[in-house]
Order: sequence, then structure tokens, then C-alpha cells
Amino acid sequence: MSHITSLLMSLAWRNLWRNKRRTLVILFAIVLGVWAMIFTAAFMRGMSSQILSDTINNLTGHIQIHSKQYLDDPVIDHRFSLIDDQLFESLNNVLIKQTSSRVRVPAVIVSERESTGLVMVGINPDNENGMSFLQSSIVEGRYLKDENDSGIIIGRKLAERLETRLGKRVVIMSQDKDNKIVDRGFRIVGIFDTQMEALETGYIFMGLQTSEDLLNIKNEVSEVSILLHDMNQLDELVADLQQQNPHLDVQGWAQLEPMSRVIIELYDSFHLVWHLIVFLAMGFGIVNTLLMSVFERTREFGLFQSLGLKPGFIMGQVWVESTLLLMLGLFLGNIIAWWSVLATGEGIDVSAFAQGMEMANLSNIIPFVIITKDLVLANSVVIILGMLTSIYPAWRASRLVPADAITRV
Amino acid sequence: MKTVVSCKHLNKIYRQGQIEVKALTDINLDVIAGDFICLSGPSGSGKSTLLNMIGGLDSPTSGEIIVDGQHVDKMSKSELAELRLHKIGFVFQAYNLIPVLTAKENVEMVMQMQGDSKQYRNEHSLAILKEVGLEGLENRKPAELSGGQQQRVAVARAIVDKPCLVLADEPTANLDSKNADNLLQMMREMGEQHQMTFIVSTHDPMVMERARRLIKLHDGKIIENNKQH
Amino acid sequence: MISVKLKLIYTCLLFLISTSVNAVDARQLIKDAIDHFRGLTSYSEASMIIHRPDWQRSMDMKIWTQGLDRSLVRVTAPKKDMGNGSLLIDDDMWSYTPKINKVIKIPSSMAHQSWMGSDFSNNDVARADDLIEKYSHKILETRQQDGVTIYVIESVPHEDAPVVWGKEILTVRDDHVLLEHKFYDQDGILVKQLTTLEIKFIAGKNLATIERMQKVDAQGEWTEFRLHHIEFDADINKSTFTLSNLRNPRF
Repeated sequence: MSHITSLLMSLAWRNLWRNKRRTLVILFAIVLGVWAMIFTAAFMRGMSSQILSDTINNLTGHIQIHSKQYLDDPVIDHRFSLIDDQLFESLNNVLIKQTSSRVRVPAVIVSERESTGLVMVGINPDNENGMSFLQSSIVEGRYLKDENDSGIIIGRKLAERLETRLGKRVVIMSQDKDNKIVDRGFRIVGIFDTQMEALETGYIFMGLQTSEDLLNIKNEVSEVSILLHDMNQLDELVADLQQQNPHLDVQGWAQLEPMSRVIIELYDSFHLVWHLIVFLAMGFGIVNTLLMSVFERTREFGLFQSLGLKPGFIMGQVWVESTLLLMLGLFLGNIIAWWSVLATGEGIDVSAFAQGMEMANLSNIIPFVIITKDLVLANSVVIILGMLTSIYPAWRASRLVPADAITRV
Repeated sequence: MKTVVSCKHLNKIYRQGQIEVKALTDINLDVIAGDFICLSGPSGSGKSTLLNMIGGLDSPTSGEIIVDGQHVDKMSKSELAELRLHKIGFVFQAYNLIPVLTAKENVEMVMQMQGDSKQYRNEHSLAILKEVGLEGLENRKPAELSGGQQQRVAVARAIVDKPCLVLADEPTANLDSKNADNLLQMMREMGEQHQMTFIVSTHDPMVMERARRLIKLHDGKIIENNKQH
Repeated sequence: MISVKLKLIYTCLLFLISTSVNAVDARQLIKDAIDHFRGLTSYSEASMIIHRPDWQRSMDMKIWTQGLDRSLVRVTAPKKDMGNGSLLIDDDMWSYTPKINKVIKIPSSMAHQSWMGSDFSNNDVARADDLIEKYSHKILETRQQDGVTIYVIESVPHEDAPVVWGKEILTVRDDHVLLEHKFYDQDGILVKQLTTLEIKFIAGKNLATIERMQKVDAQGEWTEFRLHHIEFDADINKSTFTLSNLRNPRF
């Protein structure tokens, strides 16, 4: 069969360049379509990966452990002890990369001129490092030294709102374990900036020990946040941890941040829909052009038949021709998509729409992310649907009656 | 002598709406191997229809056609294609060649489909093109050849794999008399040299002269069937 | 909202009810005043005036206190606020509104807020003892004026004190009448000040009977506390300060 294949290939390839203008136009359409698919996929993937990493970075981690009622009512009452052999043992799991224990309770911050409610987070700065946005977001002052650091870190927007700044003292007020009001002055030792206003104004950070002292608790925390080596093992680990610690509440990020999960899933399912929309436009062009070229070459197909080539060969010829065109378009489309993604560098700045982005839990810079899965999907959609739609013009060509075809001049 | 083509009580009726057009009526014809037959008659007399039917490009309404011992009228599309590929060569009035292939590639194509080796194809196509007087023009595309040259290529392709039958439908219609004469001369030589049977349709008297046997058609009927030389 | 007034009243009482100066140690000056006040019971009638460039409102109230930790306030006028009450026991606060007949525990987050649009906030007073324990005190100036000694004291909160001010400057007479209390931010800029506008001899003591709180950057806006009547060591016992009494319109 190889002799037929090579004949098919060379015929298809040369026929492709017979009407250069038409081929280039349809090639352009395919390239544009493929580019649009991949580029948009990369953008959407970038958004969803941004949402995911922001979600995980924004104090969520991959998995969190809380006391049973904490998620419904995140207050000091719903804390749990870290002096717990069962918990200690279950956290000593090879799947776990890093853990961070936090006190996380509502509080009020007061400056000379303003006050506002927010969430006070007590952390171990070493454990937290690499788990959340905090350390890398410090723009003024310093990160917390240790659990006993007497300073606090607040967001830049919060500092503006409170009319305070690095090095000044503010008062933090909360409720201790007996629901008594506790308050203390703290010096601001660091300012963080995250592009996300809700985060900057909604959280302050202090040493874990310092927060426990303020709330009159000892070795008790609101949550343990967990980072995995491999996110694919999340469900497995959640189940294990929950089973090993029935008195606690173990949740993955998707349960903790359902909005993020929904948006990510939405983007995911939109990939295919978008590809189909683009292909629909492209597919009509391909079929039309092929049909046109088939009708123009009616006589030639009759000639092939009279030379003893079977209808299947004629069908194959048209089909190989359009497949070549598709592959060429895919090749160029992929290259251009890669190039344009590389050209955008770290991503595009969408701060012009920042408000909407913030609503969607996004940062201002959206990176373009190309992943194999998306490439495979876009390319498969084009090649598979493209080859399927080419069957029709190819079939039309093979159905020509040779006697009619030859006499038609 | 072996009979290559045998037509028995061949009828072909075209329907155009309510009207029936009798293209061929009760054609009985035997062609022996190595013959050079000329089908003549005015336009619409049924020459092309008869050729197409012998080549299996069209099917008869009734009657039998036997080519090289096989019943063409009872064959499937794919069997017909096989038959054409291996046993029949075609030469048409015009547009005989695949425009995207060179003269040599056009000639080689049939051999390629038959699965001949590259070396064999190469040698034979070059030899046959030389034989038809196109040495040096092997790599030209049809558009770069004159009408006469194109028809020569078509003939070369038709005979390159030595089919038992070559069907030529008005091969000289688009050629000037000199070129037509040359082509005819060549076809006869080839036929004799390679022991092939030619059936050539034409209304060119010069072509008729060259034929060994002249069959005249009129309104779908054979009105004359004479051996000439 | 009313509960916030309680704290305010403490401040006022703390500096108003002062009789003599036993020492010229700054810390002692303030501690004496508080010690003098602590353990006392009182019943008083007072009003609060909130002034803005285009409006002004006034509220009358009765106040029962025991020490620093317990107090009960009842609004008597204007009519729409009448019967509103507030109770403070230690650090817990409740408020009562007769219209909805409901007692509400004041969440901690509201304790630092400014109340009813007035110029007082709970920050001004925090807890009265804090002013002794959580500040460093220093006499800046001692001067004689109209036959009394006037002390100007600078109080700087300790690092972890639940106080947002950079420093506070108090001007106190030797009879423990507070003349002025200035609040500076951490850059040393005056933010607001409490000024005594009227001093009367009442219930056997010299007391500041009109005090005005004013923010520096909002001229034309102030809040005045006016003391009309006060009885010390009134017959008030611990059982006065209960949630059932908060609902009871008799108090």
C-alpha cells in the first residue's frame, strides 16, 4: 500500500498549492482558529491556575483541619489542641510537604483615627513560609521573626485606611477563650501588598505564641493548613486524615473555597465549548473551500476513475489534502500561539478591569499558561472534527460518475 | 486469433425526463487482439457511449460486453476499476493529464498504482516517453506542453503497462493535421510493436484511413463494418 | 451605643471627683484620683450634648455606679430614646431598648467605636486603671494660678498598652480637678482634647460640671458632658447591677 500512500501524499500536497490564494486563505483561517483556541485556552488556564494558586496561597493551602464547628462560626470557641498524639501521628504522613498551625479569629484593629473589624491570624513564620503569600508580599519593614514576635504585619490598604504606617502602634482587640474582651497595643513591623484589597484589609498577622498569649490559650489553634507534594493525592489524604481524626473537620481547598472551585470548573468546561465555537466557524470554511475545489476538479476525478483508480482512492486524495491543510494549519497555529504566549511574558496586566477581577478572586496580572492537556484538546478538536467534516467533500468527489465527469468540460 | 472485446445485443437508453433517447441499439461487435479499429460517425452517433461502455465507465441498458474474457456488464465498480487499471488504457480528446504531475509522473502513476518498483517505473516511463518523442520533456507539467505533446503523454500513459486494449476517444480532435497525423502514426506503431488493440473514435477522415478496420455508427447503430488493410 | 457613655462617664468622674493632692509624683497624682474614686458609689443626673455645624442634640440620663466595674445608665429624655438602658459589669456590656423589649450583649468589636456620632470614643478612656498601670507619667510643668497649683502631666502608654495614642497630656489642679486632657497621635500631633468649661462646688467637692470633647481637625463639632446633680456614697448595692434591673424601668 505504501506506493498508493506516497502517490496520495504527493498528489494532495501539490493540489494544495494549485490554487495558492484559496489555500492560503483557508490556511489563515485554520491558523487563526487554532491560535484563538490555544491562546484563549492559555488565558483561561492562566486565570484558573491563578485562581487556584491565589486560593491556595491565600491562607487556604491544599487541606485544612479545623474543629467541627469552626467553618460555620470561626471564633475562638471552636479551637482544638495540638497536644494530640493521634493528630500528630496522622500529620506525620509522607504525602504532606508542609503544615502550618494558625490561630485565626475575628478581631478589631484600632488606630488613633480609625478602627475596623478583621481577622487576626497567629502564625509560626517559619512554617508559614512558602505556604502563603505573606512573606513574599512584604513591601515595607520585615517578616515576623518567630512565634513570639511582638510586632504585627498589616496590609498596605489597611494601613492607609487606618491612617497609620510602619513603625506605629495600633491596638488589637478580640475575645479570649472565656469570651472576655482582650486588647493590647502592637507595633506594626511589616506591611504587605497583595493586589487583592480584601486580603490587605481583612487580615493582620502576628506570632502564633503572641496570639495565644493574647487569647489566653496554650497549644491550641484554629486551624492546621497542609500543603501536599502532589495535589492529585488530595482526596486520598483528606479521607485518611478525617478517618484518623474523627473529632476534627478535614477539608480540601475545593470544599473550603467553593467559589474558586466553581470558577475553575467553569473555565475548564468552557475550553471545549470555545473550541467547538471556533471550529464551527472554521469548519464551514474548510468544507466550502474543499467542495469548491472538488467541483472544479470534477473532470480530473473522472480521469482518475478511468485510469482505474477506485472511488476510495479519490476520496482518500481529497481527504489527505484537507488533512495536510489541517496539519499545516495546526503546526503554524501552534507555533504562533506559543510565540504570542511567550511574547506576553509574565502575563497581561488587567488592572484596568481590576475591580471585576477582584470580584473573581483574581490578581491584576493574568499569566498565560499552556498545558499539554489544553494543547491536545485544541489540536484534537481541529484534526478530528476537521477530518470528519472533510469526509463530506471527499465523499462527493468519489461519487462522481466517471462518464459524466469526463465529458463535462 | 483471440477476441479482446465482444459486444452482444448491446442497447443503451438515456432517459431525459419523459423522453427516451436511444444512444445505442443492438450493437454486435467482436474485436480481435492487435487490431486497430476506427469508430466513426457524426456527433451523437454513439461513438463515445460505446467506448465508455467497453471501458466500464458507463453501463449498458441491456446486452453483454466481454473484455478479455470478463463480463464487464456484470462487474462491480471496484472490479471495473481493477479491469481498467490492468487491462485498459484510455486516451481522451483533451485534459488527459493530471495537471499537478509532470509528464513522467503522469506516465508513472498507473505503474505506481499497480505496485511496480520505482526503478522499473523510472526505466519504463523514460523509455516510453522517448518512444513517443518526448525525450527531454519528461519533467514538464502538462500546462508546459503543447496540445500534441500532451496527447503523446496520454498515449504513453495508456500503453506503458501494456494493456490489452487502448480506448481513444477523439484523440486528435484538438490537434492540427500535422500533429494529428504524427499521433496516429505513433499509435499504430505502438500498437504493432507492443501487440495492443486500439479502438479509436473519430470523425476525422485521415484517422479513418489509418485504421485497419472502420466501423461507422449512425443513430446508435452500426451501419458499416469493413476491414481496410 | 449607650454603653459607651459609661466609660466616658468614668473618665469624667475620675477627674472631676478629686479633693486634694497628696503628692507631686505624676503617677501618684493620677492614682490618687482613681483610688479616691474607686469603691465609691454614686448616683448622678447628667446630659450629653452633641454639636454639629448644622444640628445639635441633647440627651438626659441617670447614672448609678459602683466602683469602676459596675454601672447602670438610663436615658430619660428625649422621648424617643427614653427608657434606653445600659449595663456594665466588669468588661461585659449589655444594652436595653424598651421599644423592642430586648437586652443585647454588646460585641467586643463595638467597644472601640465612636458612639451616636459624638466625639467621644471608648478609646479615650479604655479602662481607667490602665491610665495608671500602662503609662509612664512625668510632670512637665508645675505652676501657680489663682491660688491653686496646676500640674501638667505627660502620660506615655507602654509598648503593649491597649492605647493608640502616642502620648496624653493632662492638666490637673491640686484639688484633682482635670482642666484639660489632650490626646496626641504617635507623630506628636494633637488629635483631640477634653476641656473643662465649668467648675462648681457640688456635693461637697469641687467638680468640673461641663466638659467638652473636640476633635482638632473638625472645628465646629464637639460633644459636651454636663453634670447636673450628683450624690456620693448613695445607697446602692451590688444587686442594682443586674440584667433584670436593666429591663426594669424603675431604674
